[in-house]
Amino acid sequence: MNRPNKAMRMQKAEKMITQVINLPTIPETMMRVTHLLDEPDVELDEVAEVILTDQVMASRVIKIVNSPMFRPMHEIKSLKRALIYLGFRRIREIALTCSIIKTFEGQDGVFDVRTFWEHSFGVGIVSKIIAQRVRYPETEKAYICGIVHDIGEVFLSTCHAEEFRKIVALIKDTCHSFAEGELFMLGTTHCELGLCLAKKWNFPLEYCDVIENHHFPQEATFDPMLVAIVNLADLFCSVRNLDYDNREWVSFNLAEEKSWEILRKFSPDFSTMDVERFCFELDEKVVEIEEMVRGIFEK
Amino acid sequence: MKISDSNFEILRDFIYNFCGIYFQTGRKYFLESRLARRMEVRGLKDYGDYYKLLRNGAEGPVEIKQLLIEITTNETCFFRNTQQIAALERQFLPELVETKKKIGFKKLRIWSAGSSSGEEAYTFAMILLEKRATLLKDWIIEIVGTDISDKVLAQAKEGIYNNYSVRNMSEFYRKKYFKEVTAGSFAIAPEVKKLVNFSSLNLFEDSRMVFMKSFDIIICSNVLIYFDAPAKAKIVQHYYNNLQPYGLFFLGQSESLHSVNDKFKTIHFPGGFAYKK
Repeated sequence: MNRPNKAMRMQKAEKMITQVINLPTIPETMMRVTHLLDEPDVELDEVAEVILTDQVMASRVIKIVNSPMFRPMHEIKSLKRALIYLGFRRIREIALTCSIIKTFEGQDGVFDVRTFWEHSFGVGIVSKIIAQRVRYPETEKAYICGIVHDIGEVFLSTCHAEEFRKIVALIKDTCHSFAEGELFMLGTTHCELGLCLAKKWNFPLEYCDVIENHHFPQEATFDPMLVAIVNLADLFCSVRNLDYDNREWVSFNLAEEKSWEILRKFSPDFSTMDVERFCFELDEKVVEIEEMVRGIFEK
Repeated sequence: MKISDSNFEILRDFIYNFCGIYFQTGRKYFLESRLARRMEVRGLKDYGDYYKLLRNGAEGPVEIKQLLIEITTNETCFFRNTQQIAALERQFLPELVETKKKIGFKKLRIWSAGSSSGEEAYTFAMILLEKRATLLKDWIIEIVGTDISDKVLAQAKEGIYNNYSVRNMSEFYRKKYFKEVTAGSFAIAPEVKKLVNFSSLNLFEDSRMVFMKSFDIIICSNVLIYFDAPAKAKIVQHYYNNLQPYGLFFLGQSESLHSVNDKFKTIHFPGGFAYKK
């Protein structure tokens, strides 16, 4: 892909963000949870209290804890038990996920927002699996970064629907990806747009790195291994039915992918993996992921 | 007879390791019914016992062959592998045409290896015929179908198919390229037939395999499963040698080339794999 330089792409993205009058915001609850978690002597009860002020978020936290991703031995029914099960480190991540879902809730945009989350949760789950295989120490972080990687895409779909509709039409029946279509039509992509939003929402640096560089893992600045994990998970999901309902065409040769190269360097065993079987197994997970997303969205 | 999840996984892994076909959970009931048929023949009532027979029994090697026949019988039909067809139409055919145009060679050669009664080869023929006025204008098209069984080759050459074979096909293709000769019996159009040449070939016969030269696309679905690992490797090496440098090799939808050949590069596309030199 022939890309205008980064500064120009960022400039365009920033302009597009400022054009939106009602820019999606991270819910107040999330802000309060984050501040609370930053305090050194915070009590679990205090966090629970804040989350409980937002019933939708509270029930989502419980649903996600009981999802196939975390699947505890017994069903967890109360928020407090869910928080104990997750531990402080993961609370922030789960709360963030719930917030982002809420931010874009009910804004279907060009396509059903659920399609977006199916892809995103797919990438989250596959990122976690790959993270485990390459022995990346923070598998939950890989999961969450997988979930948020395409945040710029959902922003485009909901806040710049007209342009995005044209992009979808442009790449229909071709071999092009969304990013290629976006660059052609807008001079920027969902990566830069996502980065602008992530900065506005004070996302951690590694999230920003993933959001910005998940299509070019060799350009990662903060955590190349994490970016490579999400890139690979994104590629796999895009060819195994977690692919925005086939709206973009993705095709790749693993041996030529930078992320594959990066991960093999960190974990030489990884290259002996039976990739075909990995894909067949991923196909089986699709139904599970669709069910999970449906569950999260149920009121 | 219901198969438990654990027995399903054990048998699924055994089949995958033996022949490279992966049965996804969604096809559990299909595998269950095919296994049940074999168990009835063997007088067994327990999936675990059947697994033991396959794995350790004196009759194991014979039985696995029978099971594979049971698994793959009646599996062929027109337009069977929709994702592969979509990838060909959207990406691989235009790419091939582009490459061949550059070298000034407007001819496409396709080989359906293990063509059975011809559905796969004829599917290719219909897809290419649809592009005759556009992408493949003035191109020469050669499709070769080979099989070891004279019986299926005769069926292919006759080109008469039942309802089951045409079940996956759109109304468009059925109306355009088939004629219902008697109720539930469909004859393929002469223009499709004309594009395909069927002949007898044993994939294990080296002296003949070396002459299957210069193909742009080779497709071999659910055939390699019948061969042991060294034989598979040898046959795939022939495919590798007989493929153009820019050509494509395809297996069946649930098949894997893992541990058979490490020269081919795997190209992932939505819903499947293609292999390239």
